[in-house]
Parts: sequence; structure tokens; C-alpha cells
Amino acid sequence: MGSNTTEAHPIIANRMKKAAKSGLKIIVIDPRRIDMVKVAHRHLQINVGSDIALINAFIHVILKEGLYNPTFIQQFTIDFDRLAKQVELYTPEYASVITGIKAEDIISTAREYATSNASMIAYTLGITEHHCGVNNVFDIANLALLTGNIGKVGTGIMPLRGQNNVQGAGDMGCLPNQLAGAMSLADDEYRARFEKEWKVELNPHAGDTQTRTFDRLEMGELKALYVIGENPLLADVHMNHTKTLFEKLDLLIVQDIFLTDTAKIADVVLPARSWGEVDGTYTNTDRRVQRVRKAVDAHPNTKEDWEILCELSTLMGYPMHYNSSEEIWDEVRKLAWEMYGGITYTRLDREYSIHYPCPNENHPGTFIMHERFHNQESVVKKSPFVPVDYTAPLELPDEEYPFTLTTGRRYESYNTHSQTRHYASGVKVKQTEETVDIHPDDAMALNICDGQVVKVRSRRGELEVKAKITEQVVPGLVFMSFHWSETPTNVLTLNEYDPISGTAEYKACAVSISKIS
Amino acid sequence: MSESNFVKTICGYCGTGCGLVLEVQDNKIVKIRGDKDAPVNKGQTCVKGAFAYEYVHANNRLSAPLIRKAGKLVESTWEEAYQYIANKLTGIKTTWGPNAISMFACARSTNESNFITQKFMRTVIESNNIDGCNRT
Repeated sequence: MGSNTTEAHPIIANRMKKAAKSGLKIIVIDPRRIDMVKVAHRHLQINVGSDIALINAFIHVILKEGLYNPTFIQQFTIDFDRLAKQVELYTPEYASVITGIKAEDIISTAREYATSNASMIAYTLGITEHHCGVNNVFDIANLALLTGNIGKVGTGIMPLRGQNNVQGAGDMGCLPNQLAGAMSLADDEYRARFEKEWKVELNPHAGDTQTRTFDRLEMGELKALYVIGENPLLADVHMNHTKTLFEKLDLLIVQDIFLTDTAKIADVVLPARSWGEVDGTYTNTDRRVQRVRKAVDAHPNTKEDWEILCELSTLMGYPMHYNSSEEIWDEVRKLAWEMYGGITYTRLDREYSIHYPCPNENHPGTFIMHERFHNQESVVKKSPFVPVDYTAPLELPDEEYPFTLTTGRRYESYNTHSQTRHYASGVKVKQTEETVDIHPDDAMALNICDGQVVKVRSRRGELEVKAKITEQVVPGLVFMSFHWSETPTNVLTLNEYDPISGTAEYKACAVSISKIS
Repeated sequence: MSESNFVKTICGYCGTGCGLVLEVQDNKIVKIRGDKDAPVNKGQTCVKGAFAYEYVHANNRLSAPLIRKAGKLVESTWEEAYQYIANKLTGIKTTWGPNAISMFACARSTNESNFITQKFMRTVIESNNIDGCNRT
């Protein structure tokens, strides 16, 4: 669901395709006819942002036909009745009107998901980058709990992570509400462990998400921002607004390997080291901790991220000294031992990867999470169903802005493209500039040819870009990526956010497209 | 040309975590192949993992700290940049409190660097205003 796996996670896609050849049924739920559709058993070409209507209809069918797992529900869940009541309205016929998917396809998919031996849901930002992203995820969890498709081989919910170490960064405590080891700051006992080791008192109250940071910037409450290896000016929604906000800062520090668009407006820029120049570990999308090794001597006059922060910290009166990344990792292992205690560099050199949790050196790591759900004896905290309702995208097309723009990634490029501009010589890159992908019917109605430069406009900004005519999108829907600073797609996108996660609605906003006269 | 040496590492692009073997000559990455021993990718790579590595050796890499002076970013020493940041951050913290400072951490950097990033924010700055690009 909402994952263009072939382009964003090519190697995972290869494994999916290989499995499809040996009989795995893949059902693709995506507004675009993406490459994975070629090997799919069925493609549900859903209207952008109508995921909850679809999932609630799946649940409706599963309940109506008695395809749920009553023993599992009774032992491990609560609030089943609330869920049942919530989905009453969502008949396949009703959901069909909202989602644009045929009722019979909704029914067949619900049956297949519920009755296979093992069903898994893999999703990415097509689920989370909506104003209702968290509710989308709740509803996926509802479906998995209803059928017991969690905690055993071939089941589960797989959010495919987009960055090499986005999982690890959060697990290490780079989140406003948790410490290293993915435990809440508010947990007094856990926090005390860190206070003792670090000899400081820690603030127990959750800090600001990025979204909240922007709000507080707007209110004039935020004075300094330190950005490491990120290019929010280009990556965040409603770019013109982001720029105005950054100008309000007394101090913007950017630590990066290139002078990115964000670095260009900074007060101080610090030259960091890159992948290939540093040692350490990354945690991948399925919780594997793996060793990253230095291959070449670093670019002159650069320093590693941790080295910079330690030196700055020492200068500011809190001395921090480490001789190696391993020394830091050993502190992580000591403090968050339940997760990493057994994952030593020596073991990683020998075993290649270890899945956390791995509390001690004799522990093999945890390949499958939530196995407790299949142990009849286990007494666990019951998981609540969280019934949710469909809410339409916040900016729907209208007369002035008749198209829905959805954004995403393309195969050869990565995020704001500061690294993927540098391919090895001799590699022929297919997509060398941004395009707006548009359906042939729409192109014909607007009298636009393939490759023609058009103007795309939203309520927040406008840009010029070449049109690419493709049946990957449906009439009324256009697609762009945000890789190119020459074509900053995020001048168009909408600054509306999920109230819980703070993730922006990158996947839907209204735009107009016109020929340039 | 000196002899090649081979270094095993993990790809720095998406979250799949493919194992790669980097061929290094004269302190430059000259070739990348998928690591057959890697449990995730068993020797496979995508176009980014195998070929998009020249950025490491790009000549427009940042090679000195920069400080904005009279509206322009100008090169400085590390000591000057550290002192500038330390003075500014301390001043802001004293005047406005720790809550006036925020950190956007890096989902591309190692676990170790991220651990230090949050330790820096929580101990030195005394603020929990730290988040990553996990929302974009």
C-alpha cells in the first residue's frame, strides 16, 4: 500500500517479484500504475487519500463473512465491538464510491487477506504523508489484529524506511519524546539510568517535533536551529513559507557535506564527513544493526558529526570525549542493554547483522517481533483496536485548481539530490530533470505534448516544468518528485499536517496546469 | 596506480540496508559491487547503491567552516566557528531558555553520531527539541 517499491526500495522489490514468481499473491494498492503492478495479482488503483474508506470496507467484509480470528481477538485485543460499529457504514459499495475501486475487487481482496495462511502489509509514505497518516496506520493495524496476521513468519506490518538510518536515528533518541533504546523520556526509572551515567538532570517533558518547531518559529519563540545532514528548505512542504520562517532565526547552523539550499541561508556552516569516510553502525528497515566501515581518508578539513558535537560540547562546559565510534556504541549498549547489550562490533564483524532486541552476547537477536501473540500461555497487555473514519484530502481539486498533485520519489535520484547528482562516469541516467507526469487524456484536453514546458500553479506557489505524458497516472491526477532544486516541487505542496505525527500532506494538493504562451 | 583494497560496508541510501563491497584505489572509491555474503541483498544492488558514489570525491564538497559576515558566508577556522556557535547558543540559552533552541538530527548518519547528537541536546542545551527527517 502506498509504496512504489521498485523505485524507492529496489532490492526489496526484487525479493517481492521473485516471491511472486514462486506463487506469492501481491496486491498493489496505489493511485498510480506503478511497476510492481506488472507482477501483481490485482491492482487496486485507489483515489488519493481514500485508504481508510478501503480498509474499513475490508474490515466490514471480513466481519460480515466471519473471516476474522475470534480466539486471537479474545486473547490479545480490546475494543472489538467499537471497531465493528465503526465499519458498519463502510459497505463495499459505499467504499467503492469514495475509493474508485470496484466493490467486487474490495470483497475479493478482503477475503484473500483474511484467508491466506499468512498475509503481510508493506507500506511507505503513501500511507503516512496525509493529514490522516496516523489514522491510516491505525487502520492497517486494525486489519492485522482482526485476522491475527502479526508475530509469525510471512505476516506483519512492514513500514519500509526511506533513509539508510532513519530507524536507527529514532531508536538512538533523536526524537522529542524518547531516549536511546526507544524508551519514553517520561519513564522515571529509565531516565534515571541516563542521568546517572551522564551526571546531569534530564528534562522529562517531550520537546518539539519538526512541525512544532516551524509553528514556534512562526510565533517567534524559536531563536536557534541546528540542522545536521538535512535540507529542509527543499524537502519540506510550502517552500516559500519555510524560507520566511528560517529568516526569523537568530542562529541557523547547518552541518553537511555540500552547500545545500538550506546551508546557503545559514549563519554558520560546518563541513562534515560523508558515508565511506566514517565508521559506525546503521539500523535498517527490519531492525538489523550492521557495520558501516571507513573506506577512504576523509575529505580535507572535515570532521565527523560526533566529533564536532563532542568538541562543541566540551567548549560549552560539558566535556565529551570518545576515541572511536565503538566507544560510543559501547555506551549505547550499556545504557540501552535490553535492545543492544549483545550487539558488539566483534559480533557484527563475525555475524554481519543482528536484529534488535538482543539483550546479551548469547542472545541470537530477534528476527520476528511480537511472537508473544502466538503463545497461548502469554499474558500480555491487550492491544486496542482503534476505529477511524475516512476524511477527504484537505485541498480537493476545484474549478481554479482542477488537478490533484501527488508527490514521491524516482528511481535514480535520492531526496534533494545533493548526492545523486554525482554518478560514476559512464552511467547513463534516464531522468535528468523533473517532469510533471500527466495522463494522455488530460494532456490532449490541455493541448500539451510530451516534453513541453508547462506552468504548474497551486495556492502557494508556481513553477515551470516539462510535461511527461504517461498512463501511470489517471486523468485528474499528476505526479512530481522533489529531487531537483531547479524545479522545487515543494513550492506547490500544502502545509497541513497530521495532528499526531506532524507529517505533512505531501500526497495531495490541488494544482492547475497551463501552457506557457 | 596502487593496488586495490576492498572494504565491506552498508549502503548509505535507502533503509533496505544492502551490504556492499567498495573497491578503493589511491584513496578513491573506484567501483562498488553487492556483497554476496550480505543477508539482505545477497550480492544485488540498485543503480544508486552501485553507481551514485562520486559525491564522496566531489570537488564541491565543503572543506572549511563558513560564518556569515556582512551578509556573506566566509571561510573560517574550526576554532572560530566553534567559538561563534558556543557564544551564540549560550547567549540564546541564557536570554530565552533552552526551549528556544532546536535540533534537526540526521537520518543518514550513523547510530553513534545520532546518539551523540541527542546527548548534546539533552545535556549541554538541556532541551528535548530534537527530531529527524522521519516526517518527510
